[in-house]
Amino acid sequence: MLSLQHISKYYQVGGNKNFVINDISLDIDEGEFISIMGPSGSGKSTLLNIIGMLDEPTDGFHYFVDQPVHQLKEKQRAALYKQYIGFVFQAYHLIDELTVYENIETPLIYQDVKGSERKAMVADMLDRFQIVGKKDLFPAQLSGGQQQLVGIARALIAKPKLLLADEPTGNLNSKQGEEIMELFRKLNKEDGVTIIQVTHSEKNAEYGTRIINLLDGRVESSRKL
Amino acid sequence: MIKNYFKIGWRNMMKNKFFSFINIFGLSVGLACCMLIALYLNYETSFDSQHKNAPNVYQVITAFVQNGSKRMKMPNTPAPMAGALKQEYPEVVETARLLKLFIDDKTIIQYNPANGERKSLLEQNGFLADQSFFKIFTYNFTEGNVANALTNPRTIVVSKKLAEKLFGNQPALSKVIHVNSNTNGEQDYTITGVFDDGKVPSHISANFFLSVAGGSMEGFIKRQGNDYASNNMFYTYLLLKPGTSPATLQAKLPTFIDKYAGKDLKNMGFQKEQSLLALRDIHLSSEVESNVTAPASKTYLYVLFSIAAFTLIIACINFMNLSTARSSKRSSEVGVRKVLGAEKSTLIRQFLGESVLMTLIAFVFAIVITLILLPLFNQLADKNITLSADKDTVLFFEFLLMALITGVLAGSYPAFYLSSFNPVKVLKGKLTNSLAVVAVRKGLVVFQFIISVVLIVASVVIARQMNFMRTADLGFAKDQQIVLPLRTANAKAAYAAMKADLQQNSQVASIGASAYYPGVFNPSDNLLYREGQTTAEGRRTRLNYVDNNFLQTLDIKPVAGRLFSPAFGADTNVNIIINEKAAKEYGFGSAQNAINKKIQNNYQGNTTAYTIVGVVKDFHYEDLHLPVTPYGFLLNTGGYNYMVIHAKQGNMASMLKTIEASWKKYDPNDPFDYTFMDDDFQKNYQADTRLAGIVSYFTVVAILISCLGLFGLAAFSAEQRTKEIGVRKVLGASVKTIVSLLSVDFLKLIIASVIIASPIAWWLMNKWLQAFAYRKDIDWTIFAYTATIAIFIGLITIGSQALKAALANPVKSLRSE
Repeated sequence: MLSLQHISKYYQVGGNKNFVINDISLDIDEGEFISIMGPSGSGKSTLLNIIGMLDEPTDGFHYFVDQPVHQLKEKQRAALYKQYIGFVFQAYHLIDELTVYENIETPLIYQDVKGSERKAMVADMLDRFQIVGKKDLFPAQLSGGQQQLVGIARALIAKPKLLLADEPTGNLNSKQGEEIMELFRKLNKEDGVTIIQVTHSEKNAEYGTRIINLLDGRVESSRKL
Repeated sequence: MIKNYFKIGWRNMMKNKFFSFINIFGLSVGLACCMLIALYLNYETSFDSQHKNAPNVYQVITAFVQNGSKRMKMPNTPAPMAGALKQEYPEVVETARLLKLFIDDKTIIQYNPANGERKSLLEQNGFLADQSFFKIFTYNFTEGNVANALTNPRTIVVSKKLAEKLFGNQPALSKVIHVNSNTNGEQDYTITGVFDDGKVPSHISANFFLSVAGGSMEGFIKRQGNDYASNNMFYTYLLLKPGTSPATLQAKLPTFIDKYAGKDLKNMGFQKEQSLLALRDIHLSSEVESNVTAPASKTYLYVLFSIAAFTLIIACINFMNLSTARSSKRSSEVGVRKVLGAEKSTLIRQFLGESVLMTLIAFVFAIVITLILLPLFNQLADKNITLSADKDTVLFFEFLLMALITGVLAGSYPAFYLSSFNPVKVLKGKLTNSLAVVAVRKGLVVFQFIISVVLIVASVVIARQMNFMRTADLGFAKDQQIVLPLRTANAKAAYAAMKADLQQNSQVASIGASAYYPGVFNPSDNLLYREGQTTAEGRRTRLNYVDNNFLQTLDIKPVAGRLFSPAFGADTNVNIIINEKAAKEYGFGSAQNAINKKIQNNYQGNTTAYTIVGVVKDFHYEDLHLPVTPYGFLLNTGGYNYMVIHAKQGNMASMLKTIEASWKKYDPNDPFDYTFMDDDFQKNYQADTRLAGIVSYFTVVAILISCLGLFGLAAFSAEQRTKEIGVRKVLGASVKTIVSLLSVDFLKLIIASVIIASPIAWWLMNKWLQAFAYRKDIDWTIFAYTATIAIFIGLITIGSQALKAALANPVKSLRSE
């Protein structure tokens, strides 16, 4: 599905290069569920952002569904990204001024999906996550677990092939976290969504099919479960 | 998508009521200012658009040239000019002369019905017009026939308003009224037409038109004969054949003048240059002196327009500054939206949608404000401007367009700024306002305050000049002077008896009479020169015809020789009293040197000589816009236009009662009417007073909006620095140091504004002051005042927020982080 070859990201500080990602090469197949682990500052989030095309590497080659991302123009990259990738954040990042319904609907608006179609898709999603009753509430009126559920629903609404999650359970208690992880596993198994998550929790990492450990911007170990 | 933008815009607005209020309030007021001024400009540029022939109608303008130097342009020509132009040039289809009843301050119009009480009215804006006048100009007649309205001698066309005053609902046509004019004599006139002057203003704001034939002016015109040089007093209008180029015709006029007026002009010692002024341009041509009605100054229109535009810009700046200052609050939304697939252009559209929504709300308020303030504005500007939904639909759409453009302008900078956020950075919460944005924000605040400071300086300078003009020593006693116009032959005849009667009264200091008095138009003038010189060296000298108590009554002081007085009973009209300026201009060296010398005038080949018996101190017979020029008093034995009574301090009401009783006794048929000389003099400053009023109101509005913006920024800055303030307080900072910490940045900006604005304001206002021959010059104290005012206002605005932040409990503010 995607392939990173000799990817580096560094900042020039004085005469020194300050590496965040140091020559990482990585292949990920469709249907994998990958957990990226590592201490703070090891480059987990940056790696995830590069995979998600939110951030650009300084060096290296990045292929996504056989397309050379490092050569694509902004517009093409955006189109690719919109079609294939969904994002889930630790801090949920729901838009405070929008209701649950509207939050979930937003990606579809940016993909120019027609109004009637949007309605059906959002209704479907609300149903699937059993949050129909909460559709008119604003994020501030929801618990953290519920907010993350909305965040995931929003990430999935456009039927992405790849779901990227940056510590999705970091702000949740263990029970809520478990529910989210169960949901991820189900998505991966039943819907075939490729998932890459960054996590600190060994337990949550175990839900995945492969665990990659980063240290100082390099892949320290990679093991399949 | 648009719906979505408006929805989120609305929710954001409701969430931040304080910022929304500042923005909407500022934009509403700014838009309302622009709307009012747009209405005003619309009105001022609509003059004379009702005339169907307007594109082909021109007024003949005369520039007088003497010794190579040009005097002001005037719209006046001698009587035979119109006829000759029509005869000479086939492209001139029609000509018409118009003469204002220029000596009448008011004209007495009387109606004596067979059965009923006599009606006596004092009316202004009377004219003499040729019968061709209505062929050139479009007037909507409600009674009578336009084609032959002024054909017969002693016929009159009146406005609907005047007809209603005279006859109520009765028809006015064919009724005979008595018109008593100082300019045109006293006759009966038959009404041959009534016109409705409608809503569109005209530079000829006429109340009635008299036929030329039948009045005393007819004889005057006949005596003028073929003199094309002197008595330039008629307004001449030409209707040109469609397609005629006025420039081509104008190029032929020097030949015309040479042919018809060449010899006479040579005798009189000056030259004339004729030009053509298009009808629609007349109202906006303030370079032409003494036109039918006072023109609108283009400069004033530009000034008003700039002030309104600046007010709106200040409001836009508030929007920009508050939006970018609060950007950290929107940054995560931008980040999320970008992650969800929004492109930059989509986000720009979203933010523009929000600013447009805000201006649309402001637009609604602005319309309401405009409708509410229009009557007040009319009062301030002395206009009658209306705004109604059915009549001014186009205007409403123009206003709407203006609001939309404002929304886009105000929203564009924040939209580009906000939409450019990098999602990775903002979602990590690492957003700090970049130095560039902070610099732009500071720049914009400085710009706002520059405008405010310039406006403050302008208000102060204008107010000082107005005060100076009100209180300046005019060189004569202007207070306690009661002026009684002597409009009829009866009144003129009764003057001597009234004078004798009133002089018995102990409250009367002195009584005099004259043709004109300081502050009113002084149309009589002559080219006078020292004996031994020629007409070419003549100086235009205004002349006034007075009795032998007038100079004493006005307390005009002699510097050499003597005044006219009853003690010198042998004075005749060959003796003249001139002002110091005249003595100097004629070349007498000193006032004393002029005494008993002769000055001369040459008219149509005849020389008249006057002996100077006195020189008086210069006094202002015109308002302080104009310099004092040569002036002479001649003694007349009768036929005065005004009686002036100088009253001593005391009960004015009883004084006026006594005067009225005397008037009723000696001239029972004419209405009693009076004015105060100081009021009449002040009337010359109406345009300045209006400007002063408008500028000061707009200044207050501009400062208010600027301060609201500053208030918003200060509030935001205090909020942002809550934690810093908390830490500082815990470390032992006093309230005072924190207030100054928060205030000093903003104060620096205000001081910078004052420094930048001062030279700009000085330059602008100095230019404005040049229009006054006598002025109170700008000095450093004005800038000291202004700086103090600006800093004081700024301190209050910022200080309240700073104090609030400084007084907050640090435990609370630190916990909240």
